[in-house]
Amino acid sequence: MSISTVLIIMFTAIITENFIFSKFYGCCPFLGVSDKPSTALGMGMAVTFVMTLSNGVTWIIYHALLERFNLEYLKTVAFILVIAALVQFIEMFLRKFVPALYNALGIYLPLITTNCAVLSAALLDVQNEYNFITSICFGFAAALGFTLAIVVFAGVRARLDVADPPKAFKGFPLTLIAAGLLAMAFSGFSGINFS
Amino acid sequence: MKGNHDFIEQMKNGTITNNPIFVQLLGMCPTLAVTTSVKNAVGMGVAATAVLICSNVFISLVRKFIPKQVRIASFIVIISGFVTAVELMMKAYFYDLYASLGIFIPLIVVNCIILARAEAFASRNKVLPSAIDGLSMGLGFTFALIVVGSVREIIGNGTFLGYELFGSSYQPAIIFVLPAGAFLTLGFVIAVVQKIKNISADRAVAQESAIKEADKK
Amino acid sequence: MFKEIIIPIAIFAGLGLVFGIILAVASKIFSVKRDEKAEKIDDVLPHANCGACGYSGCAAYAEAIAKGEAKELNLCTVGGEPVAKHIGEIMGVDVVAKKRYVARVMCSGSNQYSKKKYAYHGTADCLSAARLSGGDKMCPNACIGLGSCVSVCKYHALSVIDGVAVVNPENCVACRACVDICPKNIIQMVPYDSNFWVCCVSAENGPMTREHCDTGCISCRLCVKACEYDAISINDFHATIDYNKCVSCGKCMAVCPRHIIHTKKS
Repeated sequence: MSISTVLIIMFTAIITENFIFSKFYGCCPFLGVSDKPSTALGMGMAVTFVMTLSNGVTWIIYHALLERFNLEYLKTVAFILVIAALVQFIEMFLRKFVPALYNALGIYLPLITTNCAVLSAALLDVQNEYNFITSICFGFAAALGFTLAIVVFAGVRARLDVADPPKAFKGFPLTLIAAGLLAMAFSGFSGINFS
Repeated sequence: MKGNHDFIEQMKNGTITNNPIFVQLLGMCPTLAVTTSVKNAVGMGVAATAVLICSNVFISLVRKFIPKQVRIASFIVIISGFVTAVELMMKAYFYDLYASLGIFIPLIVVNCIILARAEAFASRNKVLPSAIDGLSMGLGFTFALIVVGSVREIIGNGTFLGYELFGSSYQPAIIFVLPAGAFLTLGFVIAVVQKIKNISADRAVAQESAIKEADKK
Repeated sequence: MFKEIIIPIAIFAGLGLVFGIILAVASKIFSVKRDEKAEKIDDVLPHANCGACGYSGCAAYAEAIAKGEAKELNLCTVGGEPVAKHIGEIMGVDVVAKKRYVARVMCSGSNQYSKKKYAYHGTADCLSAARLSGGDKMCPNACIGLGSCVSVCKYHALSVIDGVAVVNPENCVACRACVDICPKNIIQMVPYDSNFWVCCVSAENGPMTREHCDTGCISCRLCVKACEYDAISINDFHATIDYNKCVSCGKCMAVCPRHIIHTKKS
């Protein structure tokens, strides 16, 4: 695939088909972790790191192993196995060699195993038949989109904390409505056409 | 009989008092993504319920043999096995549902609800209660999906399960079937649920103080 | 047919085995040795992670002490005396806790005394209100009273009473979170043992202060003349107490015409 195609795929993953506001992958941590901008950034960094690596490793496993033995139907099991092991491995690696980053990410690293975004990026690579480089770039870009969404939303939530809504809306409903308004803003990008 | 009483309590717990979406606030991804129509909502709900029951039963059966360190990883692998089975079954017998749910069927693996029930209930209880817990949580999940899906489909498309409701003069508010509408609908639905909870809590407090007043006299 | 069952089982069992081996090996290679002393000290620290000790968190301070890099062992003001004693026991030295300080909101401009420049209807947050020409009270150094300090205090030491924030010194652990967040910078640290403080930091001269607030310090100097220990002086048009010299005799409070010097007992 040419560079421009890869760049278009990356741009699409970040803006027009943002993983959270457009596709809903990664909603749970998005709604759960985004209360402070610093923790949101930490989560975003962790997801970026894991997603880029996992896209590469799952691509290799799919094309070198599953396709050879006609086991494509077991890709869900294989991918989730890879992701769980990879997250564990990254946790140990960071703890030894980059302790500052490990402390910054804290508890979010193990939570990424159950993050829809990581698994769906891997599955989308297969669905869209990306090659190895494109898969990694796609994973990186999708995670950047996730980080963008989560950091922006953390800022919004800081304001929501001091707001004074009706009692029934306090907490989660207000958060969801704010997310809906942000999603509306992002859907304004959907008209961008590259052809 | 005590067994029956527990069964009803468990069913009520999963569907209403501890509803995974409205009360526990888990499993947001599929709730927001597949509720564009009631048919998709029901399909996803049933698929997730099937996976939930099977995985709860299986995990409850092997709970004594799983070492502590690999607990979560093994739960996930077991769940993914059942999800793959459900996925292949849907691909064979319900192809149009499979096509419209798309990537969210394999994403049932990372659905917080299933992992949470496995961790919190199935790994600590016997087989039959785990199965019933799976059934009740799954039904609660399906019920919540149907509620959100109905709102979105009726207002956003003017149909219900594919049947035209309002005739051709109705201009549907398309925003409701778009991603933004998912967040908004769920926000309002949970606000309604919280309002109901607040009303019943206030009523309980009022009753308590009325009883205290009566006791004083 | 058996081939179609055996092969996937074999491949996935193999994958699981390979990953298991990689993880087991990695856990040996990447194992991090934790200093036992650092862990013991970390257990004793209060985990407020406030940074008052100058280190980026309780774990960092514990490591520094264990390695012998920490200059002083009594830097944890949140933990105070008991923590200093425990650290002393672990390290085998005598550690004396630092003098206990508490935070004080240096403003008495409650709704009763302070005049407002406009009616504020907005986010109930001092940081937001401060953007609108420093808040709704006429005095530029007044407490906005919307409670940003209250929400940041983890120890329930602050509350807003009649439009001005007030510290409960018994709960205050001197983590300085409120000092850092106050957009008007009017929260100061005062020794716990001191009984008197000038509850105003108005930088406006006497006539202006009188216009803006019924109780603010007008720098009339009566307290300076009354103090026999040279402990109170006027800086920036308001009185300030030097706690190195103050003996808590209370003469300044007795003569103050504005009743702006407060005491713990009031």
